[in-house]
Amino acid sequence: MANTKIHADQKYIEALLRNDTLVLTEMYKKFAPKVIGYIKKNSGDEPVAQDIIQEVLITIYKQAKEKGLQLTCPFDAYFFLLCKRRWLNELKKNTDSLVTINEEIVSISDESIHFVEETEIFNAKHELYSEMFDELGKACKELLKASFTIKSMEEVASKLGQSYGYVRKKKSLCIGKLTQLIQNSPKFNQIKKLL
Amino acid sequence: MTPEEKYELFDKYCSNELSEQEQQLVKQLMQEDVSFADELLLYQEVNTHLQTRFDVDHEQRELESNLNKIRNSYNNTISSEKNTRIIRIPAWAYAVAASVVIAFGVYFFDQKNPVYQDFANIPELSIAERGSMEEDSKNAENAFNSKKYQLAEGYLLSLLSKDKKNTKYQFYLGITLLEQGKHAKATDVFKQLYLGDSVFKYKAIWLEALNQLKQKKYDKTIELLKTVPEEAEDYEQAQQLLSALS
Repeated sequence: MANTKIHADQKYIEALLRNDTLVLTEMYKKFAPKVIGYIKKNSGDEPVAQDIIQEVLITIYKQAKEKGLQLTCPFDAYFFLLCKRRWLNELKKNTDSLVTINEEIVSISDESIHFVEETEIFNAKHELYSEMFDELGKACKELLKASFTIKSMEEVASKLGQSYGYVRKKKSLCIGKLTQLIQNSPKFNQIKKLL
Repeated sequence: MTPEEKYELFDKYCSNELSEQEQQLVKQLMQEDVSFADELLLYQEVNTHLQTRFDVDHEQRELESNLNKIRNSYNNTISSEKNTRIIRIPAWAYAVAASVVIAFGVYFFDQKNPVYQDFANIPELSIAERGSMEEDSKNAENAFNSKKYQLAEGYLLSLLSKDKKNTKYQFYLGITLLEQGKHAKATDVFKQLYLGDSVFKYKAIWLEALNQLKQKKYDKTIELLKTVPEEAEDYEQAQQLLSALS
């Protein structure tokens, strides 16, 4: 994807990164009504639709921040599809009965679908990593939190009253432990199958 | 290689601190051992994940709170657009408008105080659920929306007898009482709502203020308007009325 041209709608991704109120407001007016309309037609209501919109925007923000997401397709279809699929997942989770979906015909390019899938995988991984992080022991959690907020390992060492060598080694062991927890989780294999 | 040694190597790999010898070793192991390569790549990804996670924590919260504000202001513009639309369309509105103009004219000789009609904005009632067999809720809805408030009151009371704690029924009952000029009864209903914790809490304050306004009890109106909080949907209207009154 590196050689394809960045789409002009990348400005919306930038707006999320900069927390640019003006552009974000414009985005909301432009893209929210379609999502709200769709969810309302499919057993949802407006507040729920707006929660979905918010969650999806935050996921896109995280992906942009962590992976440097660069759009080469229009934002509209990408965003709508993400919201739609997230809503359908919610419906599946909460209803035992069959749900009728009012499909709309939206022409969506393969490229948009590619971006949607990438974001969904990113989100699934993100959720799994956070979930597994919580499984770590208290000492590991605290050490990792300190190492990644304070940055300088010397400072972390002095704060925890340990030697530099010890905290550094402990940090690598804790991340190693987290890596193993993730690898051993059944969800991880499910995500891998999607790749 | 012990796990300790392995993760130390991974850590150095992520922070670009490998010696030339170690680089060779990692390269070789990655080619020979798929599980080593897989684990290293995941370790690296987890490392980046943690880095951004703690890094952007604060920034993400700011974005979230900003998005919430944008969402609220979006909802406010939408609901005010809807209200104007409702007022514009029906034909009888012209008659009402004309009478309001006359009333206004008369009023102006009298005093400059704002009137109830300027601010009353009766929402539509929609309680009949899809496929619901409840006859009363359909009747209540029809009566209310066609402004037959006395009739609507009856249906709402019947619904409330079966579902006493339903705040939606209570709220709309309050409006039917207010519209019929049953001020004391309306006050009872609204008061119960704004002392409670339902979604109608703030709306009830606003409507009780209008109830007082309709009775020309301006001091009482002002007192109530001052308690409409900023996050209430009717906050701006309340402020307008407040400045018109003081």
